Amino acid sequence: MGEHSLGEFEELVLLFVAAFNNEAYGVLILENLEKKLERKINISAVHVALKRMENKGFVESDYGGITNERGGRRKKYYSITATGKKMLDRQYELRTSIYKEIPKISFGQ
Amino acid sequence: MKVHPPKLAWKFFRWFCRKDYLEEIEGDLVELFEKRYETSPGSARRRFTWSVIRYFRPGFIRSFSPVNNSNATTMFKNNLKIAWRNLKRQPFFTFLNTFGLATGIAGTLLISLFIYDELRFDRMFSDAERIYRVNISNRIAGETNDYASVSGPLANVMRQDFPQAQLITRFLESGSILLRKDDSQKNVKEDRVVGVDETFFDMFGLRLLQGNEATALKEPKSIVLTPTAMEKHFPDGDAIGKSLTIDNGEDYLVTGIVEEMPKSSFLRDYSVFISLSSYEDAKSLAWNNWSYPTFVKLAPGTDPTVLQDFLSTVKDNYLIPWAMTFIPGLTVESSRQSEKETGNFMRFYSLALTDVHLHSPNISGEFNINSDVQNVYILFFIGLFLIVLASVNFMNLSTARSLKRAKEVGIRKTLGSSRPGLVRQFLTEAGLVAFISLVLAVLAATLMLPYFNELSGKSISMPFDNLVFWLILLLATLVLGLISGSYPAFLMSRFAPHIALKSGGENSLKGGKVRNILVIVQFAVSIFLIASTLVVFQQLSFIQNKDLGFKKDQVLIIDDADAAGEQLESFKNEVERLAQVEHVSLSRFLPTPSDRNGTTFFIDDAMNTDNAIIIGNWRVDHDYIPAIGLELIAGRNFDPQLKTDSSSLIINESTLQMLNMTADEAIGTRMTSDFRREDKENAHFMTVIGVVKNFHFESLRNGIDAMSLTLGTDATKAIIKLNPGDFSGSIAKIEAIWDEVATGQLFSYYFMDDSFNQTYEAEQRLGRIFITFTVLSLFIACLGLFGLAAFNAEKRSKEIGIRKVLGASVSQITYRLSIDFLKLVGLSIVLSIPLAWYAMNQWLQDFSYRIEISWWIFALSALAAVAISILTVSQQSIRAALTNPVKSLKVE
Repeated sequence: MGEHSLGEFEELVLLFVAAFNNEAYGVLILENLEKKLERKINISAVHVALKRMENKGFVESDYGGITNERGGRRKKYYSITATGKKMLDRQYELRTSIYKEIPKISFGQ
Repeated sequence: MKVHPPKLAWKFFRWFCRKDYLEEIEGDLVELFEKRYETSPGSARRRFTWSVIRYFRPGFIRSFSPVNNSNATTMFKNNLKIAWRNLKRQPFFTFLNTFGLATGIAGTLLISLFIYDELRFDRMFSDAERIYRVNISNRIAGETNDYASVSGPLANVMRQDFPQAQLITRFLESGSILLRKDDSQKNVKEDRVVGVDETFFDMFGLRLLQGNEATALKEPKSIVLTPTAMEKHFPDGDAIGKSLTIDNGEDYLVTGIVEEMPKSSFLRDYSVFISLSSYEDAKSLAWNNWSYPTFVKLAPGTDPTVLQDFLSTVKDNYLIPWAMTFIPGLTVESSRQSEKETGNFMRFYSLALTDVHLHSPNISGEFNINSDVQNVYILFFIGLFLIVLASVNFMNLSTARSLKRAKEVGIRKTLGSSRPGLVRQFLTEAGLVAFISLVLAVLAATLMLPYFNELSGKSISMPFDNLVFWLILLLATLVLGLISGSYPAFLMSRFAPHIALKSGGENSLKGGKVRNILVIVQFAVSIFLIASTLVVFQQLSFIQNKDLGFKKDQVLIIDDADAAGEQLESFKNEVERLAQVEHVSLSRFLPTPSDRNGTTFFIDDAMNTDNAIIIGNWRVDHDYIPAIGLELIAGRNFDPQLKTDSSSLIINESTLQMLNMTADEAIGTRMTSDFRREDKENAHFMTVIGVVKNFHFESLRNGIDAMSLTLGTDATKAIIKLNPGDFSGSIAKIEAIWDEVATGQLFSYYFMDDSFNQTYEAEQRLGRIFITFTVLSLFIACLGLFGLAAFNAEKRSKEIGIRKVLGASVSQITYRLSIDFLKLVGLSIVLSIPLAWYAMNQWLQDFSYRIEISWWIFALSALAAVAISILTVSQQSIRAALTNPVKSLKVE
């Protein structure tokens, strides 16, 4: 099996999962994404990303308790796994290292 | 107030979403929807729906195949896989098996379609089961004849006094007519034209494409065409309201276009319908014209015996009172009395429309040549034979192969397979072969259908759009697979593992006896079919070569000769002068299909019903007897010199029988059909001047009815006896004369022997169908024998090797290998021949004139079977015998 890759949108979702660790669920992630990105996102996109990352082993999920909200339907909370964290770190390092190589001269700084 | 997301979208989502995601996603969707609903309900709904649609993607949709992880399915899949591998491993046997089975299924499929079409005949009319036809049965001097047509007034009587009749329609066969458009000089011929009452369309549920069903045939001189006829006369399509001239006489108005007549119905050949009110005679209240086939549709829920009861009163209540007006002394009692004394009778009876095609006796004046339910039975059995042969083949080849499978069974059993498990495996294999064969068979049958239609004279199409057809097909195949597979499965699963696993496993080879019996069955069926085919063909050639009492060869018939009008006589004289022409006669009656007519005659001056006979009356001219070669056995032909011959009558031998006289006694007998006048003493009497030998003017299935010839002038046909020689030259000369005397009129001609042959089309078709399926069944039987022989030679290869080493010659070994099979074939000959003899005798009973079945038919069929089996088996035997013994002996 090759290395699992991480798409751009998936990375964003994964960042939020990490940020709200153990508290992250579909609607929460969606609302925060919409706020940060300032555009409308369909909830299905969030779920697609979550399910894919769960298959790749970057996140894991667990049902919360039954509440009166949502007609008694339980929420599913996502948390980041060690592999997921490693993946995020690598993405971050990769980006910053490449970012650093941008010659300052090109933007006249 | 509680808000709900859009119902439809929600339902849809719940339907497709996988169950393990449902709660989470549904929860998120509902939470979002409720939040958004507060700001904008409309947008919340739209976004909810849109999200649902977005979830409809792989990964979120549940699996729709029923969750089935049971052992049975897994085993089934495995069995299927093993079956496929087994079939692939032995391509030769698989080929023989599927090919034989597919041939059998295809043949049976075609036969089934044929039978279905026969059984459906006339049933497509609306409420066909409530439609009855009135026939009469007439017994005179020990001869009973049935007629499909009755008196015209019967319909009136029923309309008045039989309230259970919902609709009544009469027909009047008008034969062929010439039609001409107003603006045209050219006549176009229509072959089957019929006059019908205005209720006709309503009764049979026929729709008019243009015009009104209720009124189209109400007025006299109305004519309705089928689209085919319309195309012919009005190619531009605009026919309604146009007028057509019939037979160069009166103008008729086109008042409707009726849908095409159903192919499998008694109306199939008709294309032109004329209102019956156009015929003067149809209004007549006289009962003596028996030309009207009459149909009755009973009101829903009426017991058909009510109709029969009514019909049995018709004679006493209507017919005799009418006859009493001109026959002195006739009463109901006196007629009953004379019936009792003479044994003669005349009675009306009803025949269900749906019985006409298959279940009616020989009735004169039928609409078309009817089939017989016997043919349906015969075909049913042929179909059954075919499928049995194919199934037997399958069993034989499979059990023969069981030797090879013995080890497989042994190992499977050792590893823990149960017997039911093994049975299932073998059945799966059989089912797979059956299914592959089905696919091939449907393909083959579809390709062969056009030829089959030509063969059988039908227009059947594959009912591909019919779900029931597919269901039956699938079910039948499944059953076939199960039946054919059950014996091999039963046999093979029985092997005891310790025996099966021993070297060769030969001891476990069972089923030899059953296999032999199956081969016997196969060949018995084939020999039966060969013998039957030979009998059918012999009977056909007997009919075609029988002395008919008239000479049909070299007789040219010119149809619609009356189109020449006044010039007809001069046409006759001109043609007679041609050197190539022997005789010319004018008439409308022929021994081949043509007009028919029955007339009541009273014999002698005393007009007593005892002395009434209904006989055919053909109006002919002086040259008729020589032209068609009738033979006078007493008296003389009409003499042109004698004026009195206009009151002369020539009768046939059947009439003699009715009169109960010898030929010489009959000469001079006076009879009259002119019995309805007041002044009896002036009635016009005819005198018998001659007797002709009986000649066959109906199909040879029927006997010869009583008939008479008189001089008359209503000829529609010119009958020209040619000398042998250049026919086309003669025809050209005759046509030239025709064009002179009848300028612009259609010259249409045929030879009488062609027309005669058409009468036996039904038998010829049966013969052709027989031979086709006989060949097919022989083919299947040979496939099986071939497979068995191949297998046998393989099984005995060691024995053959040892025999050869010990000095046996090739011919000795070939003999040893073949003789086993020949013994079986011999046995089947013994079994099948008595059966074939019995069955064919039964079939022949239907013909008034038939062959005696001779022994050589059976000798020939037996010989054919032996020859074919030797050819099939010997090739394998010789090959085995020629094999080098080293090869067969070194392998262990």
